[in-house]
Amino acid sequence: MRSALPWLLLALAPAAAASEVIALVGGRVLPVSGPALDKATVVLRDGVIAAVGADVAVPKDARVIDAAGWTLTPGLIDAFSGIGLPARAPAGGGGASASTAPDPLAAEQDALDRIKLADALKARDGGVTTALVVPAEGIAGGRSVLLNLAGETTEALVWRQPAALHLHLSTLRRQYPASLMGTMAWARQALLDARHAQAEWLAYERNPKGRPRPAYDAGALAWQDVLAGRLPLVITCTRLNDIRRALALGEEFGVKVVLAGAAQASEVVDLLKKAGRPLLVTTNYDPPKAPSFGFGGGPDEGTEKAQIEAAEHNPAKLHAAGVPFALVSAHGRDFTAGIRRAIERGLPQDAALRAVTLGAAEALGIADRTGSLEPGKAANLVAWSGQPFAKDTKVKLVFVDGHRHEPEDKPAGPPAEGRPRAGASEEVAR
Amino acid sequence: MNRLLLCAALVAAPSTLAAEPPTAIVGATILTVSPAGNIEQGTVLIQDGRIVAVGADVKVPAGARVIDGAGRFVMPGIIDAHSHTAIEDNVNECTDSVTAQVRITDVIDQQDVNIYRQLAGGVTAVNVLHGSCNAIGGQNAVLKLRWGVTDPAQLVFAEAPRGIKFALGENPKRANFSAPGPRRYPATRMGVAEVIREAFLEAKAYRREWQEHEKKVKAAGPKGVPPVAPRRDLKLETLVDILDGKVMVHAHSYRSDEIVVLIALAEELGFKVRTFQHVLEGYKVAAEIAKHGAGASTFSDWWAYKLEAHDAIPYNAAVMASKGVNVSLNSDSNELARRLYWEAAKVVRYGSVSEQEALKMITWNPAWQLGVERWVGSIEAGKQADLAVFSAHPFSPDARVELTLVDGVVRFDRAKDTAARNAAPAAGGAK
Repeated sequence: MRSALPWLLLALAPAAAASEVIALVGGRVLPVSGPALDKATVVLRDGVIAAVGADVAVPKDARVIDAAGWTLTPGLIDAFSGIGLPARAPAGGGGASASTAPDPLAAEQDALDRIKLADALKARDGGVTTALVVPAEGIAGGRSVLLNLAGETTEALVWRQPAALHLHLSTLRRQYPASLMGTMAWARQALLDARHAQAEWLAYERNPKGRPRPAYDAGALAWQDVLAGRLPLVITCTRLNDIRRALALGEEFGVKVVLAGAAQASEVVDLLKKAGRPLLVTTNYDPPKAPSFGFGGGPDEGTEKAQIEAAEHNPAKLHAAGVPFALVSAHGRDFTAGIRRAIERGLPQDAALRAVTLGAAEALGIADRTGSLEPGKAANLVAWSGQPFAKDTKVKLVFVDGHRHEPEDKPAGPPAEGRPRAGASEEVAR
Repeated sequence: MNRLLLCAALVAAPSTLAAEPPTAIVGATILTVSPAGNIEQGTVLIQDGRIVAVGADVKVPAGARVIDGAGRFVMPGIIDAHSHTAIEDNVNECTDSVTAQVRITDVIDQQDVNIYRQLAGGVTAVNVLHGSCNAIGGQNAVLKLRWGVTDPAQLVFAEAPRGIKFALGENPKRANFSAPGPRRYPATRMGVAEVIREAFLEAKAYRREWQEHEKKVKAAGPKGVPPVAPRRDLKLETLVDILDGKVMVHAHSYRSDEIVVLIALAEELGFKVRTFQHVLEGYKVAAEIAKHGAGASTFSDWWAYKLEAHDAIPYNAAVMASKGVNVSLNSDSNELARRLYWEAAKVVRYGSVSEQEALKMITWNPAWQLGVERWVGSIEAGKQADLAVFSAHPFSPDARVELTLVDGVVRFDRAKDTAARNAAPAAGGAK
């Protein structure tokens, strides 16, 4: 029996699932897919959740972990993340590309090629088990990859590759497109060119005789995946009207568009309900700004403050309006602080948790395999010392595909870019 | 009265909504900017966004919303033929000498407060242009200042034909400032002309390519294998639309020589210039502009702010008008746009332009320049009810705009604005 096991593993070729059986016993379990369970047990077997419940028997072969006093939640999913990618120049609003940045207009590039394993795995310390890693630079800086953070190599983390094609409604400097209207025109032309290349190749393959060999265009091929519905097009919206721009572009070309960023989304709730697709809503409320080239300059300090404030209230308002969304780090440095801020601004705890677990899984189309603590789903789990996201709560243990990770007990990481501010704690009490 | 009923029927017919009560501005001096001239003690009757009757003996139907116009002056909503209001992000796509593919309609900001401020100056429609960075810039958007709409598309003047910005002289050749990055061709006026010629020759080749394709599709018949369509090029497509008369050219220009060169170029290549913008030396070549059939949209008295603006005279508008050019006065500025009625007053002072002609330069003439004179630009039955109600004659230094209506909807009301300001709590700074 024992000797047959390695064979079996090879035959199934699981990514890197832990073959261990683990039982977390006596914790408060928030499965997200169902009501909270007190003093419950979660059993993880071979990288998959085997059982969740208050009266689950602990298997004999299980390694038992006493979870009394802890809160167990699904692993966090950051559905728009920069983990593992090199530091970048300001994006999501223009700015010069850093020297390490890829081609700002090459959708065929892959974030996967630039991910540093050790850096990516650090995200587990904050309870993140799964991430959509998105190139931040340029207008179309490449395709994202979906990672589950367990493995010895970068490739071993891959859950879906490529996962999505990305368009940032941003601008370049000294290079086309250097205006928002240019960005829109560039995107339209990219989609038209993809369609054209497809037609040329199709005609050629049907009857190559007498036809010159069409040009190979990797960018066009990448966009064709979007046109054919094989890859979602994720459009980063930094301005209110970007949401309309993104939806209009999708409609013009009949492509599936997912909105990301969307810090002003709560102002256009009806529009979003009509679009009927979950958003990837930013918790990076005050991202670095690119210099403004507008006629009459950028916003003044008061306006900027109001914008940040509005962005912080955005998740709570979207929730109240019944718009489905995921909360994402959007390349912000402290995801947890961002989530906490949304809660402080009125987003209910359970809604916040859902937005970074099952809600995020739904937005990414992976809710059948992760996002909640349910038997059969990937053994992605976080054990918290108390209420998740609360300021003094610590991540005690993280499981990814059943692999255990224990964050170092260290003081809190660097604060997020400008956040959180002092004076926010009173609102937590509310 | 018969005319009134007829027009009312025409306007009301297509509306499926429950009829809104009509609006009547009564007892005002109406500057119609039409053959009817000025009407004392007149009434403007509005129904469903349209003017249905104008005159001294118009009967106000029962149930109408009445606006007292006693002592006030009503003029057609002012139209600014050169604006950069309500643009989000960069006004220029500066990276190439020809960027006909970019569209201002993609970047309209319905929340720009300048929309409201310009309503306070009686402006109801604006021509939002791409900047003058390149020989052939982006496509413009003609907007109605429907302040308060949430969707930028609702600002667009739906009936307005498409247009595009061209630019000549110092800006496209980038001679009067140090532009970042490598120098871009062209760096001379001859280069600008060559860029335009080259672009249209390319566009003609592109048009031929498509025409040949369509022939092949026809030849293949409904059952044959259709040939692969040529690559669509959004830039060349726009230039072809210019050649086909579907897109109006608004050409930023200063010097008389470059104006004449563009006219010759346009006639050689087969397109029309709809307006010369700025056109400060237009007075030198007014006959040529008139012969081409172009309009001229100029400043009343701005000059010497750069080398090519040195030969300007405040009589420019008057001289061009006297030579038969359709002349408008524009702002090119969020500030000046609020006082275009005084810009018009200046040409009465400089050049003795008649009151009627001067009013036309900020109403009917710019409407013609944007191809919307059938709908706006004068107070006539059947036209869209875009109106400005002044406290005094708009050329008086005392004049203030009291009300501005767009499509019959009051979008600016000075009394309400003042009341709201008085009711608002003091701003944070006022302690």
